Amino acid sequence: MDTTVSDTKSSIDRRALAAVFVRLGAFAALGIILLYFAIYARGFTSSFNLQNVVEQSVILTILAYGMTVVFIGTGTDVQKGGIDLAVAANAGLSGAVFVTLLNLGWPEPLAVLAAIFTGMAMGFLNGLAVVVFRMIPLLATLAVMNIASGLELTITENNVIGVSSEFLSTLQFGRFLGISALAWVLIVFTIFVAFLMHYSPFGVRLYAVGGFPEAARAAGLNVGRNIYFSYIFSGFCAGFTSILIVSRLSASTLGTGLLLLPVLAAALLGTVFSRRFVPTIGGTLIASLFVGFLANGFQLLGVSSYWVSGVQGALILLVVALTSFAKKSEGA
Amino acid sequence: MRFKFLKGLLAASAIAAITATASFAEELSLKGKTIGVTVVGTSHHWDLQAYKGQIDELKKMGAEVIALDAGRNDQTQVNQIQTLIAQKPDAIIQQLGNIKVLDPWLKKIRDADIPLFTVDTITPHSVNNTTSNNYGIGSDLALRIAEDMGGKGKVLVFNGFYSVPVCKIRYDQLKYVMGNFSGIEMIEPELKDVAPNTVQQAFADVTDMLTKFDKDSGLKAVWSCWDRPSVGATQAIEKAGRNEVKVYGIDGSPDFVEMITNPNSPAMAVAAQQPYEIGKNAAINVAKYLNGQPIAPITFVSSVMITKDNAAELAKDFLPKK
Repeated sequence: MDTTVSDTKSSIDRRALAAVFVRLGAFAALGIILLYFAIYARGFTSSFNLQNVVEQSVILTILAYGMTVVFIGTGTDVQKGGIDLAVAANAGLSGAVFVTLLNLGWPEPLAVLAAIFTGMAMGFLNGLAVVVFRMIPLLATLAVMNIASGLELTITENNVIGVSSEFLSTLQFGRFLGISALAWVLIVFTIFVAFLMHYSPFGVRLYAVGGFPEAARAAGLNVGRNIYFSYIFSGFCAGFTSILIVSRLSASTLGTGLLLLPVLAAALLGTVFSRRFVPTIGGTLIASLFVGFLANGFQLLGVSSYWVSGVQGALILLVVALTSFAKKSEGA
Repeated sequence: MRFKFLKGLLAASAIAAITATASFAEELSLKGKTIGVTVVGTSHHWDLQAYKGQIDELKKMGAEVIALDAGRNDQTQVNQIQTLIAQKPDAIIQQLGNIKVLDPWLKKIRDADIPLFTVDTITPHSVNNTTSNNYGIGSDLALRIAEDMGGKGKVLVFNGFYSVPVCKIRYDQLKYVMGNFSGIEMIEPELKDVAPNTVQQAFADVTDMLTKFDKDSGLKAVWSCWDRPSVGATQAIEKAGRNEVKVYGIDGSPDFVEMITNPNSPAMAVAAQQPYEIGKNAAINVAKYLNGQPIAPITFVSSVMITKDNAAELAKDFLPKK
């Protein structure tokens, strides 16, 4: 009897140790890669380059926040819970709406609101499919992704639609206190989402619903409403990001949907940087910047750009494998 | 007699000029120079050949090349250009792409005092643009179509890439020429070619249009500003048994040229460009510039009109390598 107890205890210890090892390993790997770039990639650590990477990661990061909130509210177990495969295509559609309305002569604030509303409407559609029609999130959001990209094609007729305005060029190249406008957007948005998710009662409820839906329901929380919120918030992120994309590209172009892979990679990788392998805003921020640093470091080192998306795919595989392994360890 | 002499003299000096250019090119060196090459994608024959032409020639002249392929993603290309500017290369060559997206970033390159060279892109920010004579290509092909149509009938056009400068030129030339033939009508709305999946989409679109415009409709030609949609269009027409509708394109990709050599195919003509030569010339221009030699703002590389009639003679260099 005694031996069994101590056996179980030691195996729990070992598993907990393994989980710690995975987490520390992730930070160590991140550190080593950054250090490698700092030593061998010419110009990597220059403040100009570091700002570039932040700017290049803003769009990815905010979309990944959307995905993260979906992870938080619909199941912190990223493999069995919810997912928003439509988030990138949704940003493409919102951008097309934004540019088209601007070219029709709408005032900028109204066009911005319309773009964000479009994103949220597609998010609502996701919620509807998951909550009311009880579809598997993977399939539901895949379908909505197709609707979004189809609508984008219909609106733009597959054309690159250019647009220019003072507001957009300020977003594109403007600076304030030595920091670029895009970086400011990231800072403010990150504080807002981090507060909402980690320091407000609302965030606590969302984690509760996502983590233990049955317990949350028993405690009187409206699970469905929180799932709706997650998807609509993700849609909000998509709509918001579309303004940044249009400013960066001076146009609405097809191909925003291609961001899905890096967004997924960042949101999943983010879970490794949190204490209990749950999605967090801080984790996602670190992971998105890491994805950005990877592309930047590769270019500075002269490694072919063809490797980047392959590495992103490999990261997704690695992270999902590691977290499911580590989760089992913690759950035991 | 005198005229003949003059002609001979001109020919001799032209040859001398060419040889001089060639020997200059041999002496040009880019040792110790770093040159950035940015391209939106290389998924098509033309793009890849032009890209390779630049890289091969730059390396041959001793340059260190930072070659960046954005995989058809505008955001990736913008990110790559932003990082490239921070790398401060001695020159940057930019190939093709959406000018609306790229122009503010090309201006950034100039603002950073990095000489910019373009391939198939017209922008005030570049020192030189190396390209085919797209004005000539556009009007020659348009006249050829008008001739084949006997001056009357309907033309189906793909116009999905009007924001790509070379496509704009070719399309504008087509419209200008066709405007002179009152019997010719360009079907509206135009079809939109897509990338990727260009061939499949063109196949589906043309199949639908053949249903809409039957044999008596007067539909006689399909035009596109490159030749990926032309491949899909040719296949659709063959499948529908509607060979009275002829297909035209620009670029000279091996598969479309092969269709033209087939006497039973509705593929009629292609303005075949020399993308590898275009890329190579862009690289030589960079070397000339960095070695202090004068260069013109535009370098035209010749193209060949391959038609059903002359294919036996002209197509062989453009056919798939076996």
